[in-house]
Amino acid sequence: MSMLPIISNFQGDFVLQLVAVDSENTMDQVAAAAAHHSVGRRVAPQPDKVIRVRRQDAQAFFPQDARIGDLGVQPMECLEFIFTDAA
Amino acid sequence: MAILERSKWYDLARATNWTPRYVAESELFPETMSGSLGVERSKWEAYDEPYKTSYPEYVRIQREKDAAAYSVKAALERTKLLENAAPGWLSILKAHYGAIALGEYAAMSAEARMTRFGPAPGMRNMATFGMLDENRHAQLQLYFPHEHCKSDRQFDWAHKAYHSNEWAAIAARHTFDDLFLARDAISIAIMLTFAFETGFTNMQFLGLSADAAEVGDYTFSSLISSIQTDESRHAQIGGPALQVLLANGHKEEAQKRVYMGIARAWRIFGVLTGPAMDYYTPLSHRKQSFKEFMQEWIVGQFERSLIDLGLDLPWYWDKMIEEFDYQHHAYHLGVWFWRPTVWWNPAAGVSPDERDWLEEKYPGWNDTFGKCWDVITENVLKGNIDATKPETLPIVCNMSQLPICAVPGNGWNVRDYPLVHEGRTYHFNSEIDRWIFQQDPSRYRDHMTVVDRFLAGMIQPPDLSGALKYMNLAPGEMGDDADNYAWAEAWRNIAATRRAA
Ligand SMILES: [Fe+2]
Ligand SMILES: [Fe+2]
Repeated sequence: MSMLPIISNFQGDFVLQLVAVDSENTMDQVAAAAAHHSVGRRVAPQPDKVIRVRRQDAQAFFPQDARIGDLGVQPMECLEFIFTDAA
Repeated sequence: MAILERSKWYDLARATNWTPRYVAESELFPETMSGSLGVERSKWEAYDEPYKTSYPEYVRIQREKDAAAYSVKAALERTKLLENAAPGWLSILKAHYGAIALGEYAAMSAEARMTRFGPAPGMRNMATFGMLDENRHAQLQLYFPHEHCKSDRQFDWAHKAYHSNEWAAIAARHTFDDLFLARDAISIAIMLTFAFETGFTNMQFLGLSADAAEVGDYTFSSLISSIQTDESRHAQIGGPALQVLLANGHKEEAQKRVYMGIARAWRIFGVLTGPAMDYYTPLSHRKQSFKEFMQEWIVGQFERSLIDLGLDLPWYWDKMIEEFDYQHHAYHLGVWFWRPTVWWNPAAGVSPDERDWLEEKYPGWNDTFGKCWDVITENVLKGNIDATKPETLPIVCNMSQLPICAVPGNGWNVRDYPLVHEGRTYHFNSEIDRWIFQQDPSRYRDHMTVVDRFLAGMIQPPDLSGALKYMNLAPGEMGDDADNYAWAEAWRNIAATRRAA
C-alpha cells in the first residue's frame, strides 16, 4: 500500500489533472478515480462504455484487473483514460 | 540663458562613452550583466536609437501625461463606474492590475540594468527614460485601483498578487523573471523591449485602451493610453541592439532570445488577454476575436519587423499560430473551473448568444470546448454547483506554470510533453515550452511548479483548502462566476436542438 500520484489525461477533457491512487488499486479503480475529476464535470458520462487505461502513445490498454503497482507505472506518469466498448 | 537645440548636441552626447583607466573594461561592463556577446564596445557605438529625446523634453512631456491621466481619474471618481460596469469588465481590470502593476517594477529594474550595463551610450540613454517610464507605470497602476479596495477586496490584488503564491502570479513572475529581471542588458533589450513590448504589449495596450473607451471606462482608457505612449518609445530599444548583433555575426544568439521571448509572452497573453477578449468583454462591445487580433497585430505586424531586421521566423511559428485557435479557450475553461484560485471573477461568457459568436469566430467550438461547457451548463441548471468546481489540481507546465491543456470534446488532442533531465521528469504544455527548457536546463531545472510543491508536502492540508491558503486567497478575494450564473439561465428556455445545431 502506497500512494501513487499519476497524471490523468481523460478522453474529451481539456486538461491534465493530478490523481492520487494506491499502488494496490486495479486499473478499473484507477479509471474510476480519474473519472471522478472529469466525468460529470466537463465530460459527459457514457454509461454503456468501459473506461480503459493506457500509457501515453501506447495502443494497448492495461488489463482492467491488473494492479497499478505491478505495472511499472512511474509516479507522475501521464496515463490516458479512454471510453471503449464493453467486451 | 540660451539653450542649444537638441539636434546641435545630441549626436555628440549619444556617442560619448567611458574610457576606463582604473579598472578593466570587463570589470566595468561584466559580460554577465552586459551580455554584449563579445562585440567590442566601439562596434556598439553604431547603435542608433530611432527615438531621440532629451531629459528636459522627456520631463515636460511626462508631466503632461501624468497630469492628464490623474485629472481624468479625479474628474470621474464619482461616476460610479464600478457599480454600473459589466461584471466581466471589472474582471478584466482586476486581472490586469494584479498581473501587470508589479511587473512594471520588474521592468523598471530591467531598464535600470540597461541604463547601467548597456554597452552602447545611446542605449543607456534611452533606457534611463525607460526606467522612469516603468516606475510611472507601476505607480499609476497601483494608485488607480486603490480607491476600489474599500468596496472590493479583489482590487487589493493589484499589489498583493506578486507577493503571493497564487498560481497565475507564479506564472507571471516566472515569465518576467526569465524574460527581463534575471537577464543581462542585451538580452533584456531583445526579450523585454523587442519581443515582449514591440511584439505584444504595445499593441495590446492600444487595444485595451480602445476597449475601455468602448465600455465607457474613460479613466482606465486614459491610463492605458498614457502608458502605451511610453511603451511605443522605449520598446524601440531592442531593434538597434539586434542590428548590432546581426552586423557582428551573432544572428543565431540574437534570434534565440527573440524566439524564447515571443514564446513566453504568447502564453501570458493567452491566459490574460485571450479570455478578456473572447469571454469577459460584453458581446456588444467586441470588435475582434482574440484570434483575429493576434493574426492582424501580432503575426502581421511583428512578422514584418522580424523580416525587416533580417531575422528568420521562429521554427515554431506555424505551431504557435495553430494555437491561436484553441489555447486561450483552454486557459479560459481552466481559469473559470478553478475560479476560487484566482483574484478576479471570471465571466463564463457562454450564454446562447455568446456561444453563437464563438462558433462563428472559431468554427467547431461547439463540438470541442462546447462539449465541456454543455456539462457545466447542465450542472449549473440543476443547481449542482459543486460539480462545476475542482477537487484536484491541474498539472502545471514546468515552463509556463500554466495548466497543461488543449482541445477537449471531439477534437481531443490533450497530451503531456515530458522531458527527463538529470533524473527528474518535467512536464510541458507543448514542444515549444519544452524547447525553451532545453536551451538552458540549469536555469530552469530547480523551479517547482505548484503541483511539485503540493507533492513535496509544502501545501497543507493537501487539498483545495490548503491550496487556497497557500495561495493566500481570503474569503472575499477568491473568484466566483462574474455574473452569478445568469448566463446559464438563458439556456433554460432554449430547445435542446439549438445546442446540438
Ligand atoms: Fe510599462
Ligand atoms: Fe514597458
